[in-house]
Amino acid sequence: MLCQHCKQKEAIMQFFITENGKTREVHLCEACAKNTQEVSFVFHPAIVPEFLQALFGFNAPTKDQPAEMTCPKCGISFSQITQVGKLGCSTCYETFEKQLEPLLRRVHGGGQNVGKIPARRGADLRNRLEQRKLKEKLQALIQQEAFEEAAVVRDQIRKFEQSKGGEKSES
Amino acid sequence: MNRKELLLQHSAWMSETDSPVVISSRVRLARNLDDFPFPHGLNSEGAAQVEKTVAQVLVDNEGNNVDLIYIPLTELNTIEQQVLVEKHLISPSLGGSTGARGVALAPDHRYAVMVNEEDHLRIQVLLPGNQLLESHRLATALDDRLEAKLDFAYRESQGYLTSCPTNVGTGLRASVMVHLPGLVITKQVQQVLGAVTRLGLAVRGLYGEGSQAFGHIYQISNQITLGKSEEDILSHLDAVTGQIVEHELQARDLLRQQTPVLLEDKVWRARGTLQNARLLSSEDAMHLLSHDRLGTDMGLLPKTKDCFATLIVDTRPGCLQYILDRELDPGQRDQERARLVRERIA
Repeated sequence: MLCQHCKQKEAIMQFFITENGKTREVHLCEACAKNTQEVSFVFHPAIVPEFLQALFGFNAPTKDQPAEMTCPKCGISFSQITQVGKLGCSTCYETFEKQLEPLLRRVHGGGQNVGKIPARRGADLRNRLEQRKLKEKLQALIQQEAFEEAAVVRDQIRKFEQSKGGEKSES
Repeated sequence: MNRKELLLQHSAWMSETDSPVVISSRVRLARNLDDFPFPHGLNSEGAAQVEKTVAQVLVDNEGNNVDLIYIPLTELNTIEQQVLVEKHLISPSLGGSTGARGVALAPDHRYAVMVNEEDHLRIQVLLPGNQLLESHRLATALDDRLEAKLDFAYRESQGYLTSCPTNVGTGLRASVMVHLPGLVITKQVQQVLGAVTRLGLAVRGLYGEGSQAFGHIYQISNQITLGKSEEDILSHLDAVTGQIVEHELQARDLLRQQTPVLLEDKVWRARGTLQNARLLSSEDAMHLLSHDRLGTDMGLLPKTKDCFATLIVDTRPGCLQYILDRELDPGQRDQERARLVRERIA
């Protein structure tokens, strides 16, 4: 796509600009992006909510539309979230999972959490992940016909299940 | 240690290291309590309850060696809050807001945990030089200790849940503060930092004021917090920081080879002004101190008594007034700033 400003060079940067409540998308080449007054390469935290509103790609509902769903825990609606650029509480992530999904993909590039798992609250999750890993290993070993090693892993899984009371393996 | 002594304490991140470009490293982890709405949705009672719950756990140092002192921001006057902002221990938005909120500080300011900022907890570790990994190690250890007693909001698919979706996942924001006078003087800074932003990192000026980077100091930080592990985020930032350092050192070499007299003139002129000026604005001070630091880094000027980061911070309006223990109008500040710099750079 050509730069919308100089119409000569290839556009390499994409911006969402909100003005008077309307959001437009602008594609610029590096030189025009640097020169234009609209954008600066320097990131300023105060503009985050504006950019988020644009990223949500969400228009506030009109009066004629039916009442919006609200979060059962904090009572916030999705249009309120887009206005402030923040969620109301941790339950909002579950309540508005579908609406948030495209935003999270645009901000973070997609993908599930692969970061730290809390030691105490994440103990179950850790166990499940550990078990899943062992089961995958077991499958791989069986396919390779490495039965002796597979038996060791199978015993590890059994031991794990007994000690942690985790998922039962399908047999 | 009384409050004044605690606030005036030399912050660990300001210490001089052998890194000529990377001034300091910071790691911040965003965490929220599962049972409460996020801070912006709390009423005053809820905010007070969160503050009480969290502060109790923060100051409880049983079984660990991290001593934290909790300071409710409601107990601080505007200048004291400004000091914390200028020392990078709290964000301007925590200082500017109202209600139950505060910061838990280690005596050497290595840890600064903000309470009821955008998230219930912002665990920060600030260290001098390039110490991203060590900063993260310390922040994680403190996070583990807090998590043993507090229920943090967490989901398998989205990780740590934060008020703003830009922080969800690891909740990790890692940043380095870099001094880039060589790239600014040789007019390469836009090009280099433009490339950095295309690698998924954010660039800001020292105090985040728009596009102006006073004192040629920039902060580089990760933007993506979900879908990448902490190790990946840190190693990416570390690798890009290494590239920035290399470009800056090349720019300095270029100045030394191609315009040695201009370079010497610039740094000696800065030293001369700093040693003799009777009036210095905040911006002038930062600009001249930056050139002075370039001169000492390149072995062109003798080292000064105080290090660069300390002088930059102590000459900011809030710190200056707090050190002198009186309120000053802008004209008086310029005079006192010049006096402070003269004394310390002699």
